Amino acid sequence: MNAIEVRELSRVFRATIGTIRRSTKEVIAVDGISFDVREGELFGLLGPNGAGKTTTVKMLTTLLIPTTGSITVLGHDVVREAASIRSRIGFIFGGERGLYWRLSARDNLRYFADLYHVDPDVARRRLPELFELVGLTGRENEKVEGYSRGMRQRLHVARCLIHDPQILFLDEPTMGLDPVGARELREVVRNLVAEDKTVFLTTHYMFEADALCERVAVINNGKIVALDTPDGLKRHVEDLSVIDVEVFGIAPEMVDLLRQLPDVDTVSVEDRDQKQALRIHSKLGSAMVPQIMQRLDGNGATIGRVTVREPTLEDAYVRLVGGQV
Amino acid sequence: MIANLRVIRTAFELDVKQQAVDLFMIFGVLIQPLLIAIMAIYMLLERDPSRGIYVVVGSGMTGLWTSLLFRGTFNINAERFMGTLEGIVASPTPLGTVVIGKTLASVSLSLLSMIFSYTLASVIFRFPLNVAQPIPFFLSLLVTVFAFISFGLLISPLMAVNLSLSGWVNALEYPMYILGGFLFPILLLPGWSNPLSYVLAPYWAARVLHATSSGAGAIGDILLSWGMMFILGIIYIAASYRLFKIVLHRARVDATLSMM
Repeated sequence: MNAIEVRELSRVFRATIGTIRRSTKEVIAVDGISFDVREGELFGLLGPNGAGKTTTVKMLTTLLIPTTGSITVLGHDVVREAASIRSRIGFIFGGERGLYWRLSARDNLRYFADLYHVDPDVARRRLPELFELVGLTGRENEKVEGYSRGMRQRLHVARCLIHDPQILFLDEPTMGLDPVGARELREVVRNLVAEDKTVFLTTHYMFEADALCERVAVINNGKIVALDTPDGLKRHVEDLSVIDVEVFGIAPEMVDLLRQLPDVDTVSVEDRDQKQALRIHSKLGSAMVPQIMQRLDGNGATIGRVTVREPTLEDAYVRLVGGQV
Repeated sequence: MIANLRVIRTAFELDVKQQAVDLFMIFGVLIQPLLIAIMAIYMLLERDPSRGIYVVVGSGMTGLWTSLLFRGTFNINAERFMGTLEGIVASPTPLGTVVIGKTLASVSLSLLSMIFSYTLASVIFRFPLNVAQPIPFFLSLLVTVFAFISFGLLISPLMAVNLSLSGWVNALEYPMYILGGFLFPILLLPGWSNPLSYVLAPYWAARVLHATSSGAGAIGDILLSWGMMFILGIIYIAASYRLFKIVLHRARVDATLSMM
């Protein structure tokens, strides 16, 4: 049975521009997407910043009304039957907001337990269990303002579990966490799925989706461009090789020149301190390297290490979103 | 019902904890009413020391109104800025229930300003401060709490419907001191302004508290004030119920539940 059913879902935002001559600009954040999430599944929605992930989660969690299309969560329509859904779902939005910083972690959870109408006896029993689960035992009486980012994020997880929801919506839960904190949080998410929770996870980290999700939908510019298992998504780049090139101070125009090369599929750039990492997808593999070197050299770029390798799931993602990472 | 009462209790308790360390609220609830009380006391020193209780009640009312206005304005908007509004709206508890708890906290804390003004006038300035009709006075105080909470319930969604309205909050503070008759009777104001006072529950609260504390409260006048506070309170609650629905619907349509 499906826990979530989404059909032809769209969301348009209207913004007013100008002071005297005012005009309205429309931005399509989500553009006619459809998908299902099965009960007990860990489903990932993967996409670059601004792709429409958070907007989708907000519509799924009843916080935003869709412009068109329909969403059914646990058999209830999110617009007409929001009240029937709210006590059965939990959510975390990435970042540190959403908690009362002047209150202790215990007070925060106590408050949300009451908001979700959790029986006081059940809440008293559940609070220590949740602090244990998220590794905050011994720190629960401290004010949240003194917590690290990772601790706040883990408290968010506890908050979202206080009413024992059937479905969890996690919107970029590891955003801004250090590697250890992110790994701990992913472990918590894995344990939740082992307890038969349905988890809807959004992320822009491919390895996170690969490590956690049974199926992944890739969203770009509001549209779902692929929906498959991680292995299925990897097959999108079976025919390609990846050439990684380290360069120093490359101009955007030079990246465009590389994109114009015949046999180049996509080019993405990632800033790493003073250097940039170019990731070039091409069917020619190592045979493509001389052409790339020639074009970079000819435009005065300083080149570092060059490697040719087999594509990963992240490369599939890069190809699907057209190099926008 | 019981679950919602539990929310009111917890919202009250936790809001008191947060307000107790909020310097702005400490100023509005304690320091500003004390400054107003000291000014009024000096004005009375040479004239009519028997009216000291009028000053105490009046300055206490200013603290009550300042706290209600500012907390009422930011009850919903502060949750929005903290990112907690989404968590509340997505829960099964109506937003109004949370606002009742928070408003109750503001009103209860601001009653402290009346106690501080009383202490100041009696201990430091040694004014004779007898409440002439203590039982009607304390009953009036209870009705006042109801009236102020219902007014706060109206302010919160009204300020959340249109964020630019909250920019006017400072301009709304002093007019109520005058129209509410907190520090002097509204009879001193031009006649055309009196109807404005009559639709404000704080005016009836100030009127009955002044009357019962000074001993001028005839039973008919006390019942009239209580009745007006009840009627206006019910009207405010009915209007706020509608406003909360508008706020939540518009927030879900315009995506304004979260600000950042």
